[in-house]
Amino acid sequence: MIFINGLGAVSPQPNAGSGQFPFEFTKYDGNQLRCPDPGYKEFIPGDQIRRMGRVIKMGVTAAKLCLRDAAHVTGFTSGPECPEIIPEAIITGTGMGCMEDTEKFLATMIRNNEEFLTPTSFIQSTHNTVAGQIALLLKCHGYNFTYVHRGFSFENALLDAMVQLRSGSVSNVLAGGSDELTPAYFSITSRLGHWKRKPVGNDRLLEDHQRGSVAGEGATFFFLQKEGTHNSYARLRDVRTLLKPGSDEKTGRYLLQMLQENEIAPADIDLVVAGFNGDPGSDAIYRNVIAASLPGSAIALYKHLCGEYQTSTAFATWFSAMMIRHRIFPEFALLTPPPVNLRNILIYNHYLHVNHTFILLSAP
Amino acid sequence: MEELIEKLKKEVIEQLNLEDIKPEDINPDSPLFGEGLGLDSIDALELIVLLEKNYGIKIEDPKDGKKIFFSIRSMAEYITANKK
Repeated sequence: MIFINGLGAVSPQPNAGSGQFPFEFTKYDGNQLRCPDPGYKEFIPGDQIRRMGRVIKMGVTAAKLCLRDAAHVTGFTSGPECPEIIPEAIITGTGMGCMEDTEKFLATMIRNNEEFLTPTSFIQSTHNTVAGQIALLLKCHGYNFTYVHRGFSFENALLDAMVQLRSGSVSNVLAGGSDELTPAYFSITSRLGHWKRKPVGNDRLLEDHQRGSVAGEGATFFFLQKEGTHNSYARLRDVRTLLKPGSDEKTGRYLLQMLQENEIAPADIDLVVAGFNGDPGSDAIYRNVIAASLPGSAIALYKHLCGEYQTSTAFATWFSAMMIRHRIFPEFALLTPPPVNLRNILIYNHYLHVNHTFILLSAP
Repeated sequence: MEELIEKLKKEVIEQLNLEDIKPEDINPDSPLFGEGLGLDSIDALELIVLLEKNYGIKIEDPKDGKKIFFSIRSMAEYITANKK
C-alpha cells in the first residue's frame, strides 16, 4: 500500500496554501488563471531565486511546503536546522517544462541573430530543472527523474514513484507535477482554439457554452511512503493511463476493468473528481463515461479552481486528498449532492480528448 | 570613467537579475566574485556576454577574465582601453 503522507501546492487559489480546508474560493473573470506569488523568498535563498523562472519558484515552493507538511505528518525531521524531510527520490511530471526561460532563450537567439546567448536561461529552460533545483536546494543525491508526456506527465511520475516504492529501492518519494502559463504559450494555444474567446467567471465555467476552456497553471507535490500514519491524507491505490480510446464506451470499459482489478465495485466509488473544463465537447465525455460506468457516484469538478493544463491532475489529487483527510466537500466544487460516505475517490481526466487518466484514492 | 561605472552597475544588476541590490549598494572597487557581490562562474559567462553585446569587446584569452572582472572599476578600465 502507498500512502500520501504530505502535500503542498502552489495554485491560482492563493488561500489553498494556508492548510485550511475548505479554503476560500478565489474568483477570476477572464480566461487565464495564474498563481499569485505565495512569498517565494520565504522558501528559496535570495542568491538562488534570482536565476529561477516562475515555474521553478512554484515547483520548489510546493515541494518545500510538501516536505514541511510531511515532517509534521510523519513526526520525522532531518534535524533542528532543517524543517523539511530530505526525500530519497524526486520524481516530477511536466507537460511543457520551463516555458518562460525557453521563450527567453529563443527570443534572444532570434533578436541577436544567434549571438550573445546567455547561459542562465538555457540552463534553466530544460524540463528537469524543477526536479534538479529541488535536489540542489535539499542536497538530495537520490533518484531524480522527470516525465514529459503531455497529459500523462504527472501520472507517469506517480507510476514511477509506485514502482520505486514497491520494489523497495527507496522508502519514500517526493512526486509532483508543475506547469506554467506564459503570455506566448497562451497566445499560441489561443490560435489553436484551446481557450474561450470571451471572458467567463470561473464560478460559472460550466454554464458557459463557448468552445474552449480557461488556461491555468500550478505546482503540486506529494510525499509518498509505503507506511501510513494516523495523519496520512489518503492511500494511492492505482494510476492508469489510456491514450486515444476512440469512444466513450471503451473508456468506460477500461475504467470498470481498473476498478475490478482493484476489487472495488462501481458503487464503492463515492466521489468522482472529474476534469470538466467548460468546453462543451470535452465535458460531454465526462458526462457520458460517468453516467454509463459510475451512475451512483457523486461528482466534483476542480478545473474552475486551477484552470486547464497538462499536469492539472496533480492539483486534483491534492484537492481529493484534502477532502478525504478533512471529510469535507466544498460546495464550490460539487456538481451533485455530496456523497454519504467517503471511502474511495476516482479522479478522471482527459487532456484534449487524447490523454485519459484515472487516479484511485482511498481513505487511509 | 565615473559615468561608465554607474552605467555598468545598472547593466550588471539587470543582466544578473540581482534582486534587492541598487547601484549605490555596489562599491566599484569591491571584488565581484567570492566576497563582495558573491558572483559565481555562471555570472562570469553572463558578464562576458554583456561585454561583447553592449561594448563589442570579445575576451580572447580566458585567463584575462580574472583581472578584467575583478571589480566594476576594473571592468570600466578595460572597456575604456579596448572599446572599438
